[in-house]
Amino acid sequence: MKGIVLKNIKLNDKYYHMIINSKEFCLKVSAGQFFMIQPKEFDYIYDPLLRRPFGVCDIDDNKENFSLLYMVVGKGTKLLTTIREGVEIDFSQPIGNSFTILKNKKVAIVGGGIGIAPLFFLAKELKKNSCDVTIYFGGQSSEDIVFTDEFSKYSDRLVITTNDGSVGIKGFVTKPFEDDIENFDFVYSCGPKKMLEAVSKISVEHSKPVEVSLDERMACGLGACLGCIVYVREGGDVVQKRCCVEGPIFDGSKVLWESVCR
Amino acid sequence: MHKLLNINLCGVEFKNPIIAASGTFGYGLEYSNFIDLNRLGGISVKGISLNEVKGNPMPRIMETSAGMLNAIGLQNVGVEKFVKDKLPLLRRYNTKIIVNFWGKTLDEYIEVAKILDREDVDMLEMNISCPNIKEGGIAFGTDPKMTYDVVYNCKKVMNSKPLVVKLSPNVTNIKIFGKVAEEAGADAISAINTLLGMAININTRRPFLSNVTGGLSGPAIKPVAVRMVYELYKTINIPIIGIGGIMDYRDVVEFYLAGASAVQVGTANFVNPEIPLKIIDDLESYCLKNSIENISDIKGKVITN
Ligand SMILES: Cc1cc2nc3c(=O)[nH]c(=O)nc-3n(C[C@H](O)[C@H](O)[C@H](O)COP(=O)(O)O)c2cc1C
Ligand code: FES
Repeated sequence: MKGIVLKNIKLNDKYYHMIINSKEFCLKVSAGQFFMIQPKEFDYIYDPLLRRPFGVCDIDDNKENFSLLYMVVGKGTKLLTTIREGVEIDFSQPIGNSFTILKNKKVAIVGGGIGIAPLFFLAKELKKNSCDVTIYFGGQSSEDIVFTDEFSKYSDRLVITTNDGSVGIKGFVTKPFEDDIENFDFVYSCGPKKMLEAVSKISVEHSKPVEVSLDERMACGLGACLGCIVYVREGGDVVQKRCCVEGPIFDGSKVLWESVCR
Repeated sequence: MHKLLNINLCGVEFKNPIIAASGTFGYGLEYSNFIDLNRLGGISVKGISLNEVKGNPMPRIMETSAGMLNAIGLQNVGVEKFVKDKLPLLRRYNTKIIVNFWGKTLDEYIEVAKILDREDVDMLEMNISCPNIKEGGIAFGTDPKMTYDVVYNCKKVMNSKPLVVKLSPNVTNIKIFGKVAEEAGADAISAINTLLGMAININTRRPFLSNVTGGLSGPAIKPVAVRMVYELYKTINIPIIGIGGIMDYRDVVEFYLAGASAVQVGTANFVNPEIPLKIIDDLESYCLKNSIENISDIKGKVITN
């Protein structure tokens, strides 16, 4: 697919927000899905080579524009920041499975760092379906805490934590979540592996269903290269799943965490 | 119009010389939602073995400058499931099917060749060049005697299908291996498989891949691949399928000038699944613009004097 980059703005030294116009994409996508995007304006540049996977952060109400939130970590994301507004860019269709959207339930959404991106779209969908939404949003420091106004709008409670205490509660995001867990019917999470593992463990201990979004390194993003394998329990067996097309959303209680790379 | 790109490879008619490379195109079906498979000259499927193989532990891939490293470990469903579940679905498309295969032992190679030779496929491609598994694979591709034995013995049990032998670039002199494969009865050569490489995470001081080393592919390896096709073309008389870093039609022309009779497109499928189709269109335009009646006319036409 192709679409025009409407905005590519720096939120702070770490995070950027890009908005792309594509009705075709917006009509297809559901919360939790991701897409692959060429992290450069020109396809004759071969370094970096591969497309990068990004979760869909938001869709506007007219279903015309979608956005991605990204953290500048390497060559690819650095180049992504140089894409100018007005340029036409190439990206894939929406890929993968999606979060289960419940109706009239009390749900917890736990996000860490850049893992917050796909959870924004999720919160919006859950609110539309009359869920009572509590968002736990954790980061290293205040820089990681973005879009708080928007998150407040699409949640009933927003709990912010930072490891250094620069905003919100000082400490890990899993702490306030664990304190409240009995209030919820369902848990959703996206973020660093250690956090996802902890959130899943807490949820399982309290018999709460938990869905996590995993972010394995990917080459093709369409199920062909077998570079993105995740091991999950199914029946009595351990089976291989391709994170790109059979994920990225997994039942957190079934994932073999020692096999997850990131 | 299509005559421009028609080729005949070991008696098999291809509508164009653009073939999807093994391991980068799954069983073909994975791509059917993204591109029209009927437009491809052919598809070389993921390396098939006698029994199902689960592959290497994660992490299996890492991007490097203008390329990538992989150590998938030849994960595949095994020949029986392939023939039963995948082949009938793939056969519905009008494209040539090349089955890439390998074994852990000589006997396994022979057994798989025997089974596939009876099935409805167009060609077999013997992989003696995967750098990512401990047994078999590359050992057969880096010792000329073993290369001879595996090619000779597989060819002996095959009655109907052409046998392509896929060579490893991880040798000091690829001409020896091309020659040996030809003498042992190979109908064509494909070159190259991935180059053995390594990348280290400087923060953890650990290799990025669980397998420590992996196979390098993508535009980074193209000059090595072109050189090897050129050397093979001067040495052997059977056709060569050029592989390595092809991203656009210019790369295909380069392989042809070096001596290739067809090409395979690998890593580019990950970059954008539409690349092979764009190459076909552009190659056709290139032929028209340069008054080339058929792409084969420029085979081996590099000028070196
Ligand atoms: C992820 C991956 C898996 C591969 N698996 C196979 C395989 O199963 N059998 C094989 O003969 N070659 C395999 N290859 C090698 C490719 O077919 C090709 O020879 C190589 O990647 C060079 O071409 P490229 O630069 O166009 O990718 C694999 C390559 C990659 C990147
Ligand atoms: S990224 Fe290639 S199979 Fe998932």
